[in-house]
Amino acid sequence: MSYIRFEKLCKNYGDKQVLKNIDLEVEKGTLVTLLGPSGCGKSTLLRCLAGLETVTSGKVYLDGKDITNVSPKDRGIGMVFQQYSLFPNMTVEQNAAFGLKMQKVPDAEIKERVSKMVDIVGLHEQRKQYPNQLSGGQQQRAALARAIVTEPKVLLLDEPLSAIDALLRHSLQVEIRRIQQELGITAIFVTHDQEEAMVMSDMIHLMYNGVIEQSASPTELYTKPATKFVASFIGHYNVLTAEQMKTVSGQSPESETVAFRPEIIAASKEPIEKENAYMMKGRIAVSLPHGNIIRYAVMCGGVQVDVDELFSDKEPFQTGDEIYLAVDKGECIYL
Amino acid sequence: MNKKKYVYLIALLPFLVVAVMYEIIPLIMIIINSFQPDEGAAVFTLANYQKVFSKLLYQKAIINSIKISLISAGIGIVIAFIGARAAHQVQGRLHNVFMAILNMVSNFAGIPLAFAYMIMLGNAGVLVQLGKKMGFDALANFNLYTSGGVSMIYVYFQIPLSTLLLIPAFEGVRKEWQEASMLLGASRSAFWFKVGIPVLMPSILSTFSVLFANALAAYATVYALMMNNIALLPIQIAGCFVGEVQIRKGLGGALSVTMMIVMVVMILITNAISKRFQKGAAKA
Amino acid sequence: MKKKNTGAVVAMVLILIYLLIPLIISVIYSLFSNWTGIIPKGFTVETYAKLFRDPDFLASLGRTLLICVIPIAITIVIVLLALFVTVIYFPRLEKYVQIICMIPYTIQGVILSVSILSMYVSNKSFLGNRLIMLIGAYCIIILPFIYQGIRNGMRAVNINVLLEAAEMLGATRIYAFFKVVVPNILSAIIVSSLLAVGIIFGDYVLVRNLAGSQWQNVQIYLYQAMKSDSMKSSAVFCVIMAVTFIIAAVVLYLQSHEGKTAQKAE
Repeated sequence: MSYIRFEKLCKNYGDKQVLKNIDLEVEKGTLVTLLGPSGCGKSTLLRCLAGLETVTSGKVYLDGKDITNVSPKDRGIGMVFQQYSLFPNMTVEQNAAFGLKMQKVPDAEIKERVSKMVDIVGLHEQRKQYPNQLSGGQQQRAALARAIVTEPKVLLLDEPLSAIDALLRHSLQVEIRRIQQELGITAIFVTHDQEEAMVMSDMIHLMYNGVIEQSASPTELYTKPATKFVASFIGHYNVLTAEQMKTVSGQSPESETVAFRPEIIAASKEPIEKENAYMMKGRIAVSLPHGNIIRYAVMCGGVQVDVDELFSDKEPFQTGDEIYLAVDKGECIYL
Repeated sequence: MNKKKYVYLIALLPFLVVAVMYEIIPLIMIIINSFQPDEGAAVFTLANYQKVFSKLLYQKAIINSIKISLISAGIGIVIAFIGARAAHQVQGRLHNVFMAILNMVSNFAGIPLAFAYMIMLGNAGVLVQLGKKMGFDALANFNLYTSGGVSMIYVYFQIPLSTLLLIPAFEGVRKEWQEASMLLGASRSAFWFKVGIPVLMPSILSTFSVLFANALAAYATVYALMMNNIALLPIQIAGCFVGEVQIRKGLGGALSVTMMIVMVVMILITNAISKRFQKGAAKA
Repeated sequence: MKKKNTGAVVAMVLILIYLLIPLIISVIYSLFSNWTGIIPKGFTVETYAKLFRDPDFLASLGRTLLICVIPIAITIVIVLLALFVTVIYFPRLEKYVQIICMIPYTIQGVILSVSILSMYVSNKSFLGNRLIMLIGAYCIIILPFIYQGIRNGMRAVNINVLLEAAEMLGATRIYAFFKVVVPNILSAIIVSSLLAVGIIFGDYVLVRNLAGSQWQNVQIYLYQAMKSDSMKSSAVFCVIMAVTFIIAAVVLYLQSHEGKTAQKAE
């Protein structure tokens, strides 16, 4: 039986259904991500687990126990919030000690555990400082220390890095993942940033409109999107309807929708000879360099197809060039 | 869990007891009193209001109160606009000194203020004497004990308050707008008349109504100066309750209600005008 | 750009002069025994020395202080309790608490005092006690300031997140409110209490209408001195203004200090 389990969970705000019959399981010791655009219900789901939102119907199990109606303070859950959740009147150490004090842990033990945890998150030098003396990244490290020093059953992270600038964010992602794996913490991470989800998680649950669209490992999610929404949210899939497919390639696929990634498309100024592929012809409307690739927006009979080409010795295409495209049918995903 | 929640309503009780006993019921009672005669059985009557609107003293009190409040609020808001704009433009030491003095002087009102003006401009006031010595008639013949003199003192306590209220509003006038209008060829004054003032108008109006209410209800300042010898609403209201052999609850109530109505009407008027300006500037 | 600000500087200086003249004249007046010509003559601090030896004056100062403490303490406690319940458990009620708290702002002293007076003056129980009436009235008149101060303080520290964080760490809501939220809004509470001290210290209407001659505070003392001895009253005036300014200065200092720490957190 899994460690955390949501069973037919529903949450309404007035008439608005924000969570629709969510069934979800999390294995012990893993880090899973709830990924999705803002307003998809991912934070609400997390807060239902924390007990900060009451559920409308359904059940939440943690470690084999039904905790649906347990008060948040008795659930044994640690949480890191978006920002500004540190108690401003307490130092880093005092913040970290707060939860242990609530558990009536002896002072000597508190001291020892806090100092160890403060070292783990790399705030040894800042341990006597107040939150307003810390940078945003340091504040979130302190919040992490405070959340895990009590050894909670599960650690919840509600977009903890969204207010931190890009460079620092990457190093914190790696660090959170390292600490989680070292201490064997079960963690649920909420984010709207798909790259962040890819880097950090064992498992990603992609949410949209109050339902889970797909639960899969990062690689699987990327290579095998299960729905149209997943395909358009993850990577930069070209998602074409059967009708559009017919206009651009002259061939009708069997499914309603076809999705294919920009990097699997072969492009050339000369007609391409290829077996078992959709052939298209179009004119380059825009070309955008993207690191080591160039992304071309190619207009094929009124439909835009994005094509990625690696920078190479080959002369790049120019805007207005007419080019031929070939999409391997085996690489296409039919939805 | 939900049942337990209602237990906490007990904590709201002390607040409610104080508010009900010393705010809500007294206010309701004074309204009820205003419809009951001062003598005889408690029956519904409009006699008190008849007296308020027919007796010359009370008519004058209403008119004087409104007049002095409008004048002092009007002058106050103009000076506050100039002061707040200046404080917004000038930073550094002078700005800090200006703010500090405004904050301190904003508590300078009531009896002490009246006293300072009496020392300065009263019958034997320092400046009046100075005017006599120097043959400066306007100063020598100045009479503080008139409604003009009262308005002048009121203007004094309006200035710090209104400037402090307006300064934050100027933060809403973006520098970019001013720069844009300059690049479009507008002069500074054109910018203020076409953009600045319209954007600030809701703040100006709400400050104005605070000033109006402030002047309308002011009591100590004018009492220290004139005692009961001036026809102003607060003076006449207090007169009905204090220092008389018999308290005239009904008449005093009617005067109080009249004063509250004047205040509410002013708020409604400024709100209505403010709405017309708020269309584009709602978020500023 | 600098040059264009001359107008603004002149405006500020003129306003400052206008605001400071009455104060300066009163201070000079209290320090010279004879000011009928252009130059004041006869410098003396004897007026002040006499004033601080006057038991009536000292008693009036004491009364003023005493009558500050009780209503402020009551109001802070009731507002904190009310906000605790409404913010955490009944957010919908908060609107009504706010309305009740803001009404005194518009009705102000005269109407409040006469309505309380006419309500309780003939009451035979303790409610008819003039001092009880006065304390009740002061609680109401400072309500808007205390409420706004505490509420703004709460907004500034993001109390919902703090409460949730404390709760996730195992604290009860009451514990979290009083141990986490209240310490963090302490300076807001202090600032609003000081504003309230300023208001009560400067009050004349309520004390005159409600307590009459029973509770002579400094304002009444000044009013009575004005009628007899203008030098003595100018000394009383200076003491009152000095206290008022000290309060305002402390408030200003605390607020700017607060602003600085808040900015650092950004």
